Amino acid sequence: MSRTSHWLIILLAIPAFVWLVPTLWMVSLSFQPNEVLARTTSSTAFGLVPLPFTLDNYAALFRFGQTPWWFLNSVIVSLGMTLGVLAVSTTAGYALARLDFPFKRSVTALCLIGLMVPEQAVFIPLYTMFADFGWHNSYHALILPRMAVPIGVFLMMQFFRGIPKDIEEAARLDGVGWLRIFWYIMLPLARPAMMTLAILTFLYAWNDYLWPLVSAQKREFFTITLGLASIQSNFAQSEGLGRVMASGVIASLPVVILFLIFQRYVVQAMTAGGSKG
Amino acid sequence: MRATRGRTLSQRQAALVLLAPFLLTYGAFLVYPFFRGIWISLHDWNLLAVAFNPDAKDFVGLRNYERVMWGRGIVWGLAAPFWQGLGLLGLAWAAVARRRLGKGTTLALGIASVLLIVLPGFHPGEGGRWYDRRFWPTVGNTIRFVAWTVPGVTLSALVLAAALNRESRAMGLLRTLFFLSQVLSVTVVTLIWQIMFSPRQGLIANVTEVLGASPITWLTNEQFAMAAIVIATIWWSLGIAMILFLAGLQDISRDIYEAAALDNARGVRAFRFVTLPNLKRTITLVVVLQIILHFQVFGQSHLMTQGGPNDTTQVLVRYIYQTGFRDSELGRASAMAVFLFVIMGAFSVIQFVLGREDAS
Amino acid sequence: MKHVLLTAAAAATIATGATAQEVTLGRFFGACEEAGTDTTTSVGEACIIQSIINAADAELDGITINTLPTDWGNYYDQIKAAYAGGTPPDIHVMHRHRVPEFAGLGAIAELSGDLEAAGIDPSDWAPAALEAVSHEGGIYGVPMDFHANLWHVNMDLMAEAGLVEDGKPILPTSPEELLAQAQQFKDATGQDYLAADFAQFPIGVRLVLALMWQQDANIFTEDGTATIDTEAAANAVTAITQLFDAGLADPQLNYADSQQAFLNGEAGILVNGTWVVDFYDAQAADPDVPLSSYYAADFPTLFGTGATWADSHMWAIPASLAGEQRAAAMQVLAFINDHNIDWARTGHMAVRNSVLESDAYADLPHRDEYAGTAGIARDTPPSARYGAIQDVLNRELQAVWLTGKPVGDALADAELEVQDLLDR
Repeated sequence: MSRTSHWLIILLAIPAFVWLVPTLWMVSLSFQPNEVLARTTSSTAFGLVPLPFTLDNYAALFRFGQTPWWFLNSVIVSLGMTLGVLAVSTTAGYALARLDFPFKRSVTALCLIGLMVPEQAVFIPLYTMFADFGWHNSYHALILPRMAVPIGVFLMMQFFRGIPKDIEEAARLDGVGWLRIFWYIMLPLARPAMMTLAILTFLYAWNDYLWPLVSAQKREFFTITLGLASIQSNFAQSEGLGRVMASGVIASLPVVILFLIFQRYVVQAMTAGGSKG
Repeated sequence: MRATRGRTLSQRQAALVLLAPFLLTYGAFLVYPFFRGIWISLHDWNLLAVAFNPDAKDFVGLRNYERVMWGRGIVWGLAAPFWQGLGLLGLAWAAVARRRLGKGTTLALGIASVLLIVLPGFHPGEGGRWYDRRFWPTVGNTIRFVAWTVPGVTLSALVLAAALNRESRAMGLLRTLFFLSQVLSVTVVTLIWQIMFSPRQGLIANVTEVLGASPITWLTNEQFAMAAIVIATIWWSLGIAMILFLAGLQDISRDIYEAAALDNARGVRAFRFVTLPNLKRTITLVVVLQIILHFQVFGQSHLMTQGGPNDTTQVLVRYIYQTGFRDSELGRASAMAVFLFVIMGAFSVIQFVLGREDAS
Repeated sequence: MKHVLLTAAAAATIATGATAQEVTLGRFFGACEEAGTDTTTSVGEACIIQSIINAADAELDGITINTLPTDWGNYYDQIKAAYAGGTPPDIHVMHRHRVPEFAGLGAIAELSGDLEAAGIDPSDWAPAALEAVSHEGGIYGVPMDFHANLWHVNMDLMAEAGLVEDGKPILPTSPEELLAQAQQFKDATGQDYLAADFAQFPIGVRLVLALMWQQDANIFTEDGTATIDTEAAANAVTAITQLFDAGLADPQLNYADSQQAFLNGEAGILVNGTWVVDFYDAQAADPDVPLSSYYAADFPTLFGTGATWADSHMWAIPASLAGEQRAAAMQVLAFINDHNIDWARTGHMAVRNSVLESDAYADLPHRDEYAGTAGIARDTPPSARYGAIQDVLNRELQAVWLTGKPVGDALADAELEVQDLLDR
């Protein structure tokens, strides 16, 4: 057993390294002087080792860059969207999974149909709508449209359907109201599913490009995704390659750290869920 | 936890309270814009002109759809023998194996085959032409992108998840490594891969040069540009699929494997006869998510190749964006967006039918 | 969460500031964060324009300028989105070729009533500059430059190929001579004769356009008839494809790669705009860069009439801008107009007579080498569809040189599509 898993690790280490190389390269380039990069990007070990080494790119970034500001915007927008989606999805998912009410089938169907509407198919009417309200260039313009994502409701509904009914029935016999059951019993049970949904939403929000591209034209409301797009089309001309790569690293570092802390939790939650089932 | 009966909401009221936030956002930011989009698509609607003068739009009925999707003297025939032949084969297969496939799958296969026979057959006849020569090739590029990316992501994620589904420190580290690229934003991904693929600054070119091969101009070569954005996309979006598969794998009880081991099913055999069948739902979910996600590809094409060379990486959402915001023609752009919806809807229906089949 | 939002809101208030007149400014040219306020020493388009803006921000009382970051690729899309959303920047740069579209819709302001009060003298503008910002009798902006395609030359390589005489490069005077000299160059140096961005931005289109104008042809007429499927166009395209076919130029280089090839001494000539003259001059002075002897030549005449593609950068303000905000915006325009000589340092041609006639202008590096360019500058007839037309040509020409599409087919297809655009 242990011998096979050793071989497996060695076998997997090769694709894992290949997988890591592009990121590693970006990090390495960000530590090399622009003048050198203008001539060659493979000084030492194909450029994977940052020699000659410099911190100038980062120093310049913190002295002049808008990258920290854009980063903060991304955090606000992504967190706002994640919380919004969680709130909207858990409540609606629970109601659709467990409660009886008129038109339940129609509402569920409406939600399923919504799954088919790609957000990119409604960005033009959304754009004109927000323009009519004068809402562009604001945080709510960046967050609100993306809260209407039925996939979250769908995921939560599936999850709540899988929870045994007897817990709920026992609480009902004790006279506990539906909202309390939802809040005190169902939500804690739903933690793993919410975690998954939260990660999916956060990443989606972080990566969203098209909507911010049409909605935000002022730098105050640029997200990091949009900001990086605006500098990379110029990199050959004014900013050095090293600078641009440094922005990329700064933009990615906090999410990567967040994920590294987060991932342990996710894996634990999934293992816990698995052993219980 | 104890409450008195009189103060609690009835089930209906509770449902209304819980559903209200969703229904409000859903109605305001998805349902309403969707119908508004259809309404816009029925107009000659210039982005700037209407912004300055709300009356500067003309109702033109379905003209935008005609101008985008149809042409003059369009005829039907055996224009794409390969795809149409494939459709015939699919139809034949559906007819022969309908018992084994089950009702839903047969129906889906049948519909897909008929579409494959019918749709590629349309082409401009003698002296005819498409009104918009870019639209259908753009749709084709988008489908090609999805057809490469989705199996690429799904297969590699599945294999990796199966291999990494062990509890050890090293495995955890490897899982992290493969997931890492997923958290990068699309613009970081395009930033990295633009340089990676560059024929003179790129890492790939630097390595191939040492091996004595002349560098490939990935992003400007018609044969490689699509491959380049597919590679970048697979690299980027493998993580979530892998995590979903891992979650699915952990749901499969150890008992089943132990029982299978007694029947001498280990390793690859166990994967084939235990893992895959039990993972069917997760696979369906992953494929649906991927198709929906990748059909809406925009950033990779927009930032890495600008749709080029010669439009070979022009994708539907980028064309919608260009038509709407560069050419200011919101009506035409909306007509294309409605088309995007119809395609996505068709995929969802097929998947829904397949999914129900599994459940029953 | 609430806390985060509040902090962010507070930070936003501080960042945008509550000062009296904040002028938002939209531009392309790329980012330059270390531009400073010294307008006389900055190098490169991005840093020169940003140093002028920074100086205006510092020197104009009661005015702060907020530069919106915008990349080249999405610039006009974003400007349009901003106009349609009712939040256009108070000043923005644009090309003269966009005037018909923006002025035609009433988006940008007619300025003839504002110029004098702001201290801008339109009679100092060269006639062609005034024409560039004029639309149906009105003045819709403040011109900043003319820019045109040049042939940037690596003199060392040309000398090696025996293509230098009296310190000037010997450039072809016919398509046949182009091929012969390119072959001679390749034989002597082993390098490509010519490089340009044929694979990304429409630099290749501008090359073909120039060669069409040199035959007194154009891609469409003033009354809106596409004339692309013509012998002149075919001649222009084949003049270039003959180089690819003979392996004397590489069609697959994009903007950055073609520039890199030139700086690395892997190509004798780079076809690119006036905007890089000072940058290449600085690069040639750098001992680490293989390019060491640089010459900026007029686009050579391969057919009957001299012609090269040209356009203008200009500054406009939205028609909706009024009162003090408009006055403040005009002050910034006046400041930019006053610094025309600094902008000319990029390599662009100035627009003000007083600058054009000055010694400082004549003394700019390489200026005398392409003195003829102003006289042969051309562009297509005005059209509100300019961007889309360029895109059609770029695609069809890329199809020719990147994928071997027959020239006749590409030109026929381009003519159909451009006609569609003109008819829309």
